[in-house]
Amino acid sequence: MFIARSEYDRGINTFSPEGRLFQVEYSLEAIKLGSTAIGVSTSEGVILGVEKRVTSTLLETSSVEKIVEIDRHIGCAMSGLQADARSMVEHARVQSQNHAFHYNEPLRVESCTQAICDLALRFGEGADGEESIMSRPFGVALLIAGYDEDGPSLYHAEPSGTFYRYDAKAIGSGSEGAQAELQNEFHKSLTLPEAEQLVLKTLKQVMEEKLDSKNVQLASVTKDKGFRIYSDEEMAEVVSRLPTN
Amino acid sequence: MGGFDFSNHNRNVALHAKGMPLPKATSTGTTIVGCLFDGGVVIAADTRATSGPIVADKNCEKLHYIAPNIWCAGAGTAADTEFTTALMASNLELHSLSTGRKPRVVTCMTMLKQHLFRYQGHIGAYLVVAGCDPTGSHLFTVHAHGSTDKLPYVTMGSGSLAAMSVFETSWQGNMTRDEAVKLCSEAIMAGIFNDLGSGSNVDVCVITPEKATLLRNYITPNVREKKLRNYKFPKGTTAVLNEKVITKEDISKYVTVHELQDDEAMDVDS
Amino acid sequence: MASILPGAPQEGIGYSFSQAAPNAASEPRQHSFYPYSDNGGTSLGISGTDFTIMAADTRNVSGYSINTRYSPRLYLIGGEGPENKGARIVLSVVGFTADGSALKERLDNIVKMYKYHHGKPMSVSACAQRLSHLLYSKRFFPFYVSAILGGLDEEGKGALYSYDYVGSYEREQCRSAGAASSLIMPFLDNQVNFKNQYQPGSGTGHNLQAVVAEPLPRERVTQLVRDAFTSAVERHIEVGDGLQMMIITKDGVQEKYVELKKD
Repeated sequence: MFIARSEYDRGINTFSPEGRLFQVEYSLEAIKLGSTAIGVSTSEGVILGVEKRVTSTLLETSSVEKIVEIDRHIGCAMSGLQADARSMVEHARVQSQNHAFHYNEPLRVESCTQAICDLALRFGEGADGEESIMSRPFGVALLIAGYDEDGPSLYHAEPSGTFYRYDAKAIGSGSEGAQAELQNEFHKSLTLPEAEQLVLKTLKQVMEEKLDSKNVQLASVTKDKGFRIYSDEEMAEVVSRLPTN
Repeated sequence: MGGFDFSNHNRNVALHAKGMPLPKATSTGTTIVGCLFDGGVVIAADTRATSGPIVADKNCEKLHYIAPNIWCAGAGTAADTEFTTALMASNLELHSLSTGRKPRVVTCMTMLKQHLFRYQGHIGAYLVVAGCDPTGSHLFTVHAHGSTDKLPYVTMGSGSLAAMSVFETSWQGNMTRDEAVKLCSEAIMAGIFNDLGSGSNVDVCVITPEKATLLRNYITPNVREKKLRNYKFPKGTTAVLNEKVITKEDISKYVTVHELQDDEAMDVDS
Repeated sequence: MASILPGAPQEGIGYSFSQAAPNAASEPRQHSFYPYSDNGGTSLGISGTDFTIMAADTRNVSGYSINTRYSPRLYLIGGEGPENKGARIVLSVVGFTADGSALKERLDNIVKMYKYHHGKPMSVSACAQRLSHLLYSKRFFPFYVSAILGGLDEEGKGALYSYDYVGSYEREQCRSAGAASSLIMPFLDNQVNFKNQYQPGSGTGHNLQAVVAEPLPRERVTQLVRDAFTSAVERHIEVGDGLQMMIITKDGVQEKYVELKKD
């Protein structure tokens, strides 16, 4: 029996006759199941925002960690399989520390993103003599925000190992609607507070739950303060500034 | 009394065994050569003296007087070549006085080898002995352990291989005085430029039955180039931390003080 | 001497302490393997406000012999292609030539790879840190070299880093390394940092004002470098033949060569 597609999604590194890698494509689908994450880059810095999806009133919301620090000047937001993101972030942290150790300077944001993407394709059987570390592609996408000698920057890294730089990018379940909103609202002269509002406003539109200071999380990367996750008080302050409707 | 004082020998052996390094002697890591020609003999030497990798003397004299008609080029430990040749000069003078004859080169060579053999190589003198006497012109080498050689052309010292390569290329029998001088100085130059232990200038000594001529700094191929900057410091650059004035009256208690005339004044700060 | 000492008859001189010389016949002898040699040579670096001068003689020796009269000790690090075009970092290595060229090769590779990875040329400070790690990575089988790294820092000022052979490093105004470093360094202390120089008539005794060190102009530094080497050649047998100089400015690296005495 030969049924198109189904025979080619078993081998992790086997192309289909149409030239597709189904497992990688499926991994992109996994991200669409994840919670929405948004990043907006301004001249002052980058804002990252995620929805937390509080599934139970008994859930301690502070334990939902979807924005993490990579180095003092780089942070990332994730959407998809959280556990996969842990190993990617760990790799990025090691690379960043290693760079500072060897070169006495911070790792560039693009180099950090590249380092993460290098990891993304280390699945399958592995090359001759080389140990492969993963059996399947990552099921998570990252928004990597950072500040380096070229100023602030935002990158989107996919399980396929490709990455692009964005002014504003949304990933996860609400990404389509959110991206359309960003497309309309983003402009080059956004200030940092304006970006905060844009991120929250966009999240609010695509979230199923009603947005409050507990079910969203913001973080910023700026020249002076580096990567910083907003405290509960700051979150409450920013959310209170959102125009009610 | 002559001879050596060995009273510190045991102590020094013990100290050395305990790990104290031996004091470093100035060695003439050297190129010395000699060559017979029709009617005489030439010896030549470079003028560098070293202490390890440091140049101790840029223009030292390695050609030593033994007798009016015998000269000696020395390599090895500077003090040993200096004292050994001086000792030979003095003994040969006495020998010639008591025999009433001109000293012979073989005599000098024999005395040297006996002296050096007695000290089992501890006297680090490596010599080229040359001279003219009533039996003819002679050229010898004497090693620190007492062995000797008699050859028409010889080289010794750290630059001996470089120098010998010149002799082996260009030496021929029955050379004239000028040819021998040229060959010897070329051999020394080979040492100067190819052996790090040798350097600076070429000294030559030509010995004929009539007389010995020392050509000090016969060739100077390594003159220091002029410094680009002037390193004279203005007066008062060095800090004076304390000062004590001794008056002429005070010093007169111990010595006699003479006033110098202006034209006699010492040339201190030019 | 020994006869007056009590106790059993002793061999040799009766010392009160054990003698260091081992009994060669009784102890197992190890074949020694010594993979290092010293090829002499001296290097020198001086940094100014907007330049760094690196210099080294080109004589390569072993023992009392000259291996070659022209083996460069200054290397361009980074830049394009095998000629290192456009490089702005200069490394000088003295000591064991084989280790020196191996070290240079490694650093050059790293700096070139860095540009591919990060899309920008490596800064001198980053290169300095990396070189330190390279040296320390062989802590127990070291590169037998004294390295000096020169270039311009992020502000365009002259930058000079000196290393010991296991990677301890420091940014300095000037440094000499190698065979004649002990001859050149005191000269540099006096002529570049004005050590032991006081302003005449500025006070008495300890109140005398020291001459303040200030960055020197390029022409003067070049003269100091050449005088330092012609003088070192006079008194050190392993230094001579040629002087290779590299002057690093914002416009690039200018290379000069002058002859030195060959004796």
